[in-house]
Amino acid sequence: MNLKSTPRQAESLDLTALSLVVCLGPGGVGKTTISAAFAVDAAAHGRAVDVMTVDPAPRLLDALGLSADSAEPVEVSLDILRHSRRSKSHHARLRALRLDPKRTFDAIIARYAPSNAARDAILENRIYRNLSNALAGVADYMAMEELLDLASNPATDLVVLDTPPAVEALDFLDAPRRLLDLLNSRAVSLLGAPGGIFRRRLRVVDIAARAVLAAFDRITGLNLLRDVQAFVGSFDGMYEGFAARATAAQEKLRAQDTAIVIVTTAEASRIAQAREFIEALERADLRVAALIVNRVMATMPDGAEISSARIPAALKKKLKRNLADYGALKTREETSLKALGDSLPKDAVLMVVPDLGREPLTIADLAEVGRSLRSR
Amino acid sequence: MTLPRVSFATLPRVLFVTGKGGTGKSTVATALALARSRRRPTTLADLDRRMSAAAMLGVTTVDGTAATVTKSLEVIALGARAELDAFIARIVPIRAISRRMLRSRTFGYVTAALPGLEAFLLLERLRIMAGDAALEDRYLVIDAPASGSALELLSVAAGVKNISPTGTLNRLADSVAAFLADPTRFGMIITLTPEELALREALETEANMREQLSITTVAAIMNRVPDSLFDTAELAALSPLGIHARLAVRRSASQEVASAMARRLANAGIATINLPMMFTPAMGIDELEQLGQVLAAELQDRLSKTR
Repeated sequence: MNLKSTPRQAESLDLTALSLVVCLGPGGVGKTTISAAFAVDAAAHGRAVDVMTVDPAPRLLDALGLSADSAEPVEVSLDILRHSRRSKSHHARLRALRLDPKRTFDAIIARYAPSNAARDAILENRIYRNLSNALAGVADYMAMEELLDLASNPATDLVVLDTPPAVEALDFLDAPRRLLDLLNSRAVSLLGAPGGIFRRRLRVVDIAARAVLAAFDRITGLNLLRDVQAFVGSFDGMYEGFAARATAAQEKLRAQDTAIVIVTTAEASRIAQAREFIEALERADLRVAALIVNRVMATMPDGAEISSARIPAALKKKLKRNLADYGALKTREETSLKALGDSLPKDAVLMVVPDLGREPLTIADLAEVGRSLRSR
Repeated sequence: MTLPRVSFATLPRVLFVTGKGGTGKSTVATALALARSRRRPTTLADLDRRMSAAAMLGVTTVDGTAATVTKSLEVIALGARAELDAFIARIVPIRAISRRMLRSRTFGYVTAALPGLEAFLLLERLRIMAGDAALEDRYLVIDAPASGSALELLSVAAGVKNISPTGTLNRLADSVAAFLADPTRFGMIITLTPEELALREALETEANMREQLSITTVAAIMNRVPDSLFDTAELAALSPLGIHARLAVRRSASQEVASAMARRLANAGIATINLPMMFTPAMGIDELEQLGQVLAAELQDRLSKTR
């Protein structure tokens, strides 16, 4: 693989020094595979690992051979990796789980609600019941919550998080702050939520907006504002609990033993997206620990071996065509890798994961990808 | 097992192109729009915030305005936010107030608290566009989000019905649901590549869309299928040749996987159209044109067979 054109060939990430790896990236680049590979590799090296996926399509569990609807952590057998002495230690384990945002949300409400009545008010709210799953950002917020829970378990060494395919990098990492913003915004006063820390003076434009929103509600037949208001208002007594968790999540993302990694493939459109991710993370003062280019093709040989082979001429011709065909794809890949240019952040590791030549569908395949993440 | 016939004659007014991430949704949607536009005026609607389809055709668009590509093909970028803005502008008669509201951060938070509304209005826009297109005998191809998000997007009408048992939105939700379930107006194209996980996602998507929303899948389009070059005897003779043998095997294996998958799709009642792997150093407009030609020939061919 010729990476002379790209900056800073670096070593691998030191997984033993990490307690959290967050994999971000555009859709279809193999984030789930990379997350699972990190987890399998760390477990094979004697660590106690939890890997969590937020993807609505539960490919991680597929790859780890687990049932798709398990919301409880499922222990993954490491028998296949038992050749290493360290993985035989009692300590080593690998658990996988898929996030169920609705369930997590219910649990959080129950945890922070000041009273049973407040809890029930939320759980029975029409908005909450119908749309807490669809509410943009809620699943992301819940993932951060679940993550903090997993990460604070003293029996766990490493948590690997596979995030949902995102259009923008911060969609996910920023979720706790956005939810807080909503709860703490003038929107709440605008909706006329009762007192507490939300009480603010309304500006003229807000009063106008409130009137218009009320009209909007009437015209549309939603009668939604009252419920939104009740919903947001019912968070009143819980704001501090949420704020503390959101702060904890932001701190965890910036901790020394957290690595945010961006996964991409060498396709031009994905590389462009990866660059946007890097820039967005830098703007948000989040450090990118590694950029992983997944499924990179092997370097193409020249045709000398074909010419000298003792095979029929017609077959030689076909082989040369095949070589030229895949060579063209390799050229395409190198062109996009060049486009990475100087966009790799300072101190970030660039990792190139060679194409396996097959889909990684088994634990052994994941272990192989994991090894290529470790060794260079 | 007879598969539903796919041809220009039977294509619905709107083709909604979705699939697993990385299977080439934008490429397929663009090629499909190019193919369709050879016979009828076509609009390619880009729901992707990054506007990859527009970029592939070398045009830039802003939310809600169409850019002309050829005499019979235009590209339009649709964003949920822009639809909400348009909706507010429609129902708030005083422009100064509506503009001010739309600019205010507060309003942004409020609409964020009315979940699903933006997405719903986007669907409503598609329904209206389909109606207009029918009057002009124009076709729509939609470059949609990946399957998981696409299902969420299309399910939003049902959610709106649940929270709004009466009134304008409730009636709109009914029309949107009817639009999605009408095979002459709306059909889904599922993209995949010859890979197991892409196939599983395609099968799940077809089933979920059909069972939950009565959406018809027009066809699966299998992207990046290499043409076959080697037969079994040749592959056997190549085995001492190291990487050259591996490359040859890779090509044949990909081909075989594609055929096996087309059979599994057929068992699920889904017709498959193959698109060739473009072995070129770049994917540009020429490559898209070629893929468009393949699709046009395929759809044309089936048309003549059905007669």
